[in-house]
Amino acid sequence: MNTQRSMPEATVITGAAGWLGTALTHALVQSGGEWERSGTIRTLVRNRIEADRLAGHSPRIEPIVGDLLDPESLGRLFAGLAGNIDVLHTAGVIHPTKVNDFFTINRDGTKAIAAEAAKHGARRFVHVSSNSPFGTNSHPNDRFRNDEPYHPYYGYGDSKMQAELAVFEAVEAGLDAVLVRPPWFYGPHQPPRQTTFFKMVRMGRFPVFAGGHQSRSMVYVDNLVQGLVRAELTHTKPGLGWWIADERPYTISEIVETVGRALADEGFEVSPNRIRIPDMAARAAEFADKMIQRTGRYHQQIHVLGEMNKNIACDISVAQRDLGYQPQVDLYEGMRRSIRWCIDQGLEL
Amino acid sequence: MIELTEPRAHHDCQVLVIGSGAGGATTAATLAEAGIDVLIVEEGGWVEQDSVVPFSLEQMDLQYRSGGVTVALGRPSIAYTEGCCAGGGTEVNSGLYRRPSKATLERWRKNYAIDDFDDDEFYAACDEVEQALSVQTVPGRQTPASELLRRGAAALGWRHDEIPRWMTYPNGNDAAAGRRQSMTRTYLPRAVRAGARLLCEHRVDRLIIDRQRAFRAELTGPAGEPVTIDFGDVIVCAGAIHTPALLQRSGFRGLVGKALAMHPTVKLAARFNEAINVVNDVPVHQVKEFAPELSFGGSASHPGLVALALTDNWAEMRDAVTAWPNIAVYYAAITSQGRGRVTSLPGLRDPLVTYRLTRRDRDLLGQGLARLALVMLEAGAREVYPSFKGAPTVRSRSDLAQLTAGFSANAASVMTVHLCSTVPMGSDRSKAAADSFGRLFGADNVHVNDASLLPDAPGVNPQASVMAVALRNARHFIEEHS
Repeated sequence: MNTQRSMPEATVITGAAGWLGTALTHALVQSGGEWERSGTIRTLVRNRIEADRLAGHSPRIEPIVGDLLDPESLGRLFAGLAGNIDVLHTAGVIHPTKVNDFFTINRDGTKAIAAEAAKHGARRFVHVSSNSPFGTNSHPNDRFRNDEPYHPYYGYGDSKMQAELAVFEAVEAGLDAVLVRPPWFYGPHQPPRQTTFFKMVRMGRFPVFAGGHQSRSMVYVDNLVQGLVRAELTHTKPGLGWWIADERPYTISEIVETVGRALADEGFEVSPNRIRIPDMAARAAEFADKMIQRTGRYHQQIHVLGEMNKNIACDISVAQRDLGYQPQVDLYEGMRRSIRWCIDQGLEL
Repeated sequence: MIELTEPRAHHDCQVLVIGSGAGGATTAATLAEAGIDVLIVEEGGWVEQDSVVPFSLEQMDLQYRSGGVTVALGRPSIAYTEGCCAGGGTEVNSGLYRRPSKATLERWRKNYAIDDFDDDEFYAACDEVEQALSVQTVPGRQTPASELLRRGAAALGWRHDEIPRWMTYPNGNDAAAGRRQSMTRTYLPRAVRAGARLLCEHRVDRLIIDRQRAFRAELTGPAGEPVTIDFGDVIVCAGAIHTPALLQRSGFRGLVGKALAMHPTVKLAARFNEAINVVNDVPVHQVKEFAPELSFGGSASHPGLVALALTDNWAEMRDAVTAWPNIAVYYAAITSQGRGRVTSLPGLRDPLVTYRLTRRDRDLLGQGLARLALVMLEAGAREVYPSFKGAPTVRSRSDLAQLTAGFSANAASVMTVHLCSTVPMGSDRSKAAADSFGRLFGADNVHVNDASLLPDAPGVNPQASVMAVALRNARHFIEEHS
């Protein structure tokens, strides 16, 4: 493992009110927590409601309401910061209404924030990428190695690839930027689509394709926070990227079974999963997704369904070696915490 | 050169061995050394190794079947090559040697119920083969193309190693002076010294069977004349295509030729800033990070083969051909879930060969080609030319997205050199076409002892597997007939 940098005087977080952004921001201000830090914590959010929510969590969080693509907002985001500045870029869109949003937010937004970070002499810039620029594995035993050829999966994958390329360009121009690549994540602060996922499992209606042998890497959101902060604070060459995921990939059947068990252990009545669907249905959904995206539109359910028969599994050993990354939470424990969070929020599962 | 048997209209022998490649030569030497009267027939001619440049077009013409142009039909069609000369494939292949893994042996034993198929005994046979063929790593420097493959894999942190070869190096560290220990230098002279006869340029048309016993082979001699050979037992070692074809012509159908296995490969040419092409040798490094499913290695790269690798996009890539000294050809090979068939058709000299890739095979070929291109970029390649129609020239990582988006197995030049499993051995009669020692089901004295017996493709260069199985079965034959 490489040596550690000191804590920065200022930390700038984009997408701070999002799923990962919230978990990250909370971790940085959590008193006595492993990732607690001093200094300024400046966050970019989209509206007043998000700003109030973050500021209400801790007075240490300084929300700036603005837009990634608006130079004036970015100017305010960095205004008055001094000393070492680290930028943690978690903003992104995964399920938009129009395909074009992928590119304006994921690609153009990343270009804009990277340029702004360079302008203010940021010490390190951590970009949150995805598995999506690399597509899918050809068989269940394959694992994406730390370095892989790009094979973007439709619009989202393409936009996240272009975001990576924008980061590499910024590195060429002198920015100290690195990437973390999380696969499918789960955990507290989840958006409504994840609640639907729990509901489907509880009612025995989660679509399992062709036996459910497909392998999937997932990452519990706190594991991802750990990986992200380590990528920020570890001395490495710029331009590197790491898979940040749970210890090992799971099979789809294992995921459904584990979530069912976690729900049952939290006192829910869980019906056995009965939805077994032939592979052909997922292929049809993938085809429909492709056709819809070609027209510039985006349909979340069809996209997710088309992806359900795929293997998306990665190997985290380089993150373990370079960053000392050690995932602490496994699927069962992570899902239980996630379910409890839903209960605390009064969400109906 | 050893003394060949003179052509005659009729020959008699105790055991007829058909084919003189890795399976046939090993079988013939083992039997002859046990005092059995052996006649080996070979369709091709005897070609002295020093008389032809390795991996050249001239060699393809002289030592390959049909000049190296043979195709398994399917979507896509898969080009394959077979040796056709004394010594068979061992005279023309890359000479790389790798034992099959324990997992492979276990899979064969279990899935086909092969009796008395013991790991220790199998590896002892490998020891023997390695001794006989002087299997060793290159003593001096490897070729630049090999070194580049190693460098690219090392930069990515991907597992790679040097594959030993059956070569001797009479001039110490001079790797370029290596002498290939093929069958014409090893087991064939041994067989002849022990009294076996070798009849070249004779093609066996069919075996004549009477109530489950074969007693005569009908052949065509060098001038097209009919020839007959009477024998007590026959051991067919004509390779995974021509062994089943001959058996079918002789009336054996059933599972014969029904489960052709291979390692399909896709290729690319990589162009570097400096001269790296060594026309008469192939790289000895392989990338094994994704084994057994995927392996990367280097191919023969003489100018004709460089041109061949560029033909899928000739209009765009032909200018590169003049830079051939800076270019080397590499392959990505997969273990395939698909299977093919060999079917001999009445009136046609060569059988119909078909092969079907599965969806996973197709995805794996694409993923393999892209990963191989990444290795080449990491090795410092200036341009990479993948072999499929519509392929982009790859100069950077972002170009790899174009490669993966545009790849389709149907548009690719898929080829193979490793063919096997057309007469699988084992005691499970629902899958095997020959018993656990290669005796054909449905015949008392017809045996097979070549790559056709391997239950599936071993995921590594198969010659070690072929020879070790051949030794084992030849010894079993001797025991049974003593």
